[in-house]
Amino acid sequence: MTLSSGSARARKITGAFAPKITGAFAPKITGAFSNHSYVYAVCLTLVATLIPVLQANANTPTIRLFPTTVVEDLKQTSSVAQEMENGLQEVIGRLDQQQQLYNESKCDGAEGDPGCQRLAKQIGATYLDMLGIMEERLPDMEHTVNNTRLSLEKRLRSELGNKMTSWTLQETLLGGNPPNDASAPSPTMRGRSGMRLSERFQQYYKLVASSSSQSDQSLAVLASDIYLDMEETSELIARTREEIARATLIEQLNQSFGTITPEMMEVVGGVKSILFGDDESNTRVAGPPPASIEQAYRSPLEQ
Amino acid sequence: MNMSPFPHSTKILAILIASSITMISCATPPPACGGPTTNDLHAAVNQVKNELEFNGCEAYFDRFYDDLLRIAEGDPGAANKQLFSEFLVWSADEGILSQRQAKDYYNRYFNVKFMTMQGDYNNCSHTCPARGRIMRDMERELSDKERGLMKVSLDNDGYYRADELYQEIELVLEATCAACSAGQR
Repeated sequence: MTLSSGSARARKITGAFAPKITGAFAPKITGAFSNHSYVYAVCLTLVATLIPVLQANANTPTIRLFPTTVVEDLKQTSSVAQEMENGLQEVIGRLDQQQQLYNESKCDGAEGDPGCQRLAKQIGATYLDMLGIMEERLPDMEHTVNNTRLSLEKRLRSELGNKMTSWTLQETLLGGNPPNDASAPSPTMRGRSGMRLSERFQQYYKLVASSSSQSDQSLAVLASDIYLDMEETSELIARTREEIARATLIEQLNQSFGTITPEMMEVVGGVKSILFGDDESNTRVAGPPPASIEQAYRSPLEQ
Repeated sequence: MNMSPFPHSTKILAILIASSITMISCATPPPACGGPTTNDLHAAVNQVKNELEFNGCEAYFDRFYDDLLRIAEGDPGAANKQLFSEFLVWSADEGILSQRQAKDYYNRYFNVKFMTMQGDYNNCSHTCPARGRIMRDMERELSDKERGLMKVSLDNDGYYRADELYQEIELVLEATCAACSAGQR
């Protein structure tokens, strides 16, 4: 990690070009024309051509927010989430079917009916299965999410927190060019519910894995987005783990009575929306058109 | 026969003096530092320049600038940006504003970048402890940019970019400051 300084970058480029120019061009030109002034002219032209390139590079410090470890952590998180989803999908499907049967049998308000009691017990047993799977898989999930979060946290603190001022941060976000290129991936913003957890991490992974093609401004936004998402996910997992033990105990007690509690349905609904997405919240309001900072007039006062 | 104790010429002179006094007292001179009285932006800028240069109205610069923005809102256009820039450069050249003040006045209204985000120290130590205040100041600056970029200069794209930048800064600062404070724990 480093924020390569402009001058360091410029030195690197000069070093790479200098021997080529001297070695390949100088003897030929000198031999063919024996004219030193012509050589100087060519050298001057080359220098004049290179200077703007070097300056342009010097003005764009690179930030390293996604080293290989972070990319690998994201990939790992995605596959762990997928495993958990696969395990839960079957049991949640079963719960849905049992709930549907319970409703169709008009068991609501007929809790004393032996058939309904049996159905309620079956639903409770499936619910316990779901809690069991979550209890088994969540520690892995928590571990990988925390790893990613901590790696990103370190990067954000070092690259954006300690190495940048508010002004340089703003300039990084604004970038050198207006973000008009429709083909360039736009920075991901928060609030990606409506998408499977594993898909979300898979998408993060893809975005990050192709980070070399992205500009610094998108990377800063992307890193912040992922970090905040991980932080929330991490808190949610910790809270869920605490709740599982309590919910399991309550359901074991309920099993003896064969009742379905509203809390149980709420938990199932919550798990479904976290893991498999919530379609209702997927609707997004259109934002303003991509903006351009291209201006006909540029004031000498502009900073 | 003339019974009056005053000669006729004295009477006429007295009448002339009295009417002159009445005329002078009835005429209302323009109030000093009253600001522009026209809705033509070029003419208004010239009026303000006169007030600033000859009437010692430097203390009213803020109000004059606001008046000019209001007049420009009535006749928006891309050229207004240049007019304001030239006015501010003139103000700095005349010593009415410092170079820094002129830049602040211009960039706050007509540039995408936020002047609130000026700072010489790193974000963890300087920006994060004051994040709430900075975001509030940026919000106010964004509404000035809406006025300068969109309503005065018809530069909608510029304003949308500023709005987008505001949201990105909010997100990135939230994450960065959370990371900074986690490092202190």
